[in-house]
Amino acid sequence: MSSSSFPNSRFPFGAGARAPGGSGGGGGSSVRPWGSSGGTSVSSSGKRIQKELLDLNASDCSAGPKGDNLYHWLSTIIGPQGSPYEGGVFFLDIVFPPDYPFKPPMVTFKTRIYHCNIDSTGKVHLDILKDGWSPAFTISKVLLAIKDIISNPDPYTPLVMNISRQYLTDRAKHDEIAAEWTMRFAR
Amino acid sequence: MASRDLRGSPRSAPRRHGAAAPKDGSDLLSPRFRSAAELAGWDEESVLAAMVVEDTPVRESRRKRRASTSSAGGSAGSSTRKRRPRRQFPAKIPPVVLALDDEDDKTDTAEDGKSEVKATKEEEKVVLVGDKEASGSGEKAAATGNMPCMDRLREELSCAICLEICFEPTTTPCGHSFCMKCLRHAAAKCGKRCPKCRQLISNSRSCTINTVLWNTIQLLFPSEVEARKSSTSSPSPCGKDVNRSPLRANRFSQGGTGMRTRARSSSSFITEGRTRSSYRTFLEPGSTTRTNTSANFISTHGNTRSSNSRSRGFVSASQLLLPRSTVGSEQSEDAALAYRLQQEEFMNAFEEPEQERQTRNAVSTARDTLREIASRAIRLRAARGWPV
Repeated sequence: MSSSSFPNSRFPFGAGARAPGGSGGGGGSSVRPWGSSGGTSVSSSGKRIQKELLDLNASDCSAGPKGDNLYHWLSTIIGPQGSPYEGGVFFLDIVFPPDYPFKPPMVTFKTRIYHCNIDSTGKVHLDILKDGWSPAFTISKVLLAIKDIISNPDPYTPLVMNISRQYLTDRAKHDEIAAEWTMRFAR
Repeated sequence: MASRDLRGSPRSAPRRHGAAAPKDGSDLLSPRFRSAAELAGWDEESVLAAMVVEDTPVRESRRKRRASTSSAGGSAGSSTRKRRPRRQFPAKIPPVVLALDDEDDKTDTAEDGKSEVKATKEEEKVVLVGDKEASGSGEKAAATGNMPCMDRLREELSCAICLEICFEPTTTPCGHSFCMKCLRHAAAKCGKRCPKCRQLISNSRSCTINTVLWNTIQLLFPSEVEARKSSTSSPSPCGKDVNRSPLRANRFSQGGTGMRTRARSSSSFITEGRTRSSYRTFLEPGSTTRTNTSANFISTHGNTRSSNSRSRGFVSASQLLLPRSTVGSEQSEDAALAYRLQQEEFMNAFEEPEQERQTRNAVSTARDTLREIASRAIRLRAARGWPV
């Protein structure tokens, strides 16, 4: 089981290999740089993202713009203590849509993780990043939710069936593989 | 006494006034005791609060209460409500009761002892008093601007959607407040649910401004509101004009620069109306009845009140005063008096623009006199044949 589910390459997500999440609708082409004079929604979303960035600096989460594009962030999550992911450093890609506070940001894992709610492309199955999104959420709350789902996987709404099944039937084995993956990819 | 003097910071003075006033009378013991006990009670509470670590639930709830009172009660009514918790404490200090009932001197000794005991805690207390005052009356907080609780207030009064200070806040039926624009956008793009608790919100309720909250925000954060106002610069619905007029006066007395656009947009119409009405009184001075002039006065008064953000309105009113006074009838005198009173009111309300104009006048007159002196000197030199 473990050998078959191992990926072949060590770094499946090379830098800029492909658009995260596949859709790329909000990212890439349609994302305007933050100083651009677009509609009011763009400037207001830029303002809000800037404000979140300032607030993030005060908190313990580490996230920030990748380059000079305010709408494209990189974040790191430390594997939660007491979970099989402990000690790992997971990189996340965050793309804000132009109408950001009203549409959820697109969050993808850039580091491989053995988790039933995160698939091999890095897509995260999280309610608040889809239908459950509310404009009152901030990126720090999203990161907190992701931290929570890392330490407490939800096997009943899985993205990877095998892992969820294993999580329910053979928890010890699941934790062992997850720790192994963490050692291998997230160090 | 010493303690009372010690805590006599300018901010705490008006609040203590009620308790300190009966001290001058003859039968002082019971009110003084009450004030002293109140002091003591307040001390205990403040000390307790100061010793609690910053983020414990107790402190948190206190902060919430403060914010809610400030948002709900305005300035005057909330002070009594705030004093109530302090009154619960006097029962806890029986020794002071005995001492106070015996002699006058003992009260002083008791208070001295108290002050010695609490000398170290005075500073914290002052800070806490500042907290309470800031949440109670926003003008003081806005004037000082750096109250310790301002950050928390900012957090409480900011919109969860744009993360800035709520601009024209509306409150959902579930009790959460957002900027009206933000909430409308959210309702349009994310469904008609409260962004905070996901309760359904109806359309009708979501577009009314929570005036109390909005006024509080304008008092507490005038600079932010004005920055936002100038950045959006979109005409807001006229229905809120009534709520805003006192605040506008306040803002202008603080030297703010907001509201210019709106006032100017309506200014031409206002002056037109005023001149027309005053001309009517001027043209038919004999036939004007008392009711007519009074009605005129009221209308012009209303006009100037609504346009009082412009200093020009005041000037034109005073100019219009001149032909009126030449007419000898009683009614026009009344109107003139009314104008004069109004004028004085303006002088009081808008001292800063008045001074500005005076200085400008002084500068221009000085320049004129200088120019005249120079030209006269040149003329003299030319007349006497000296090289110019």
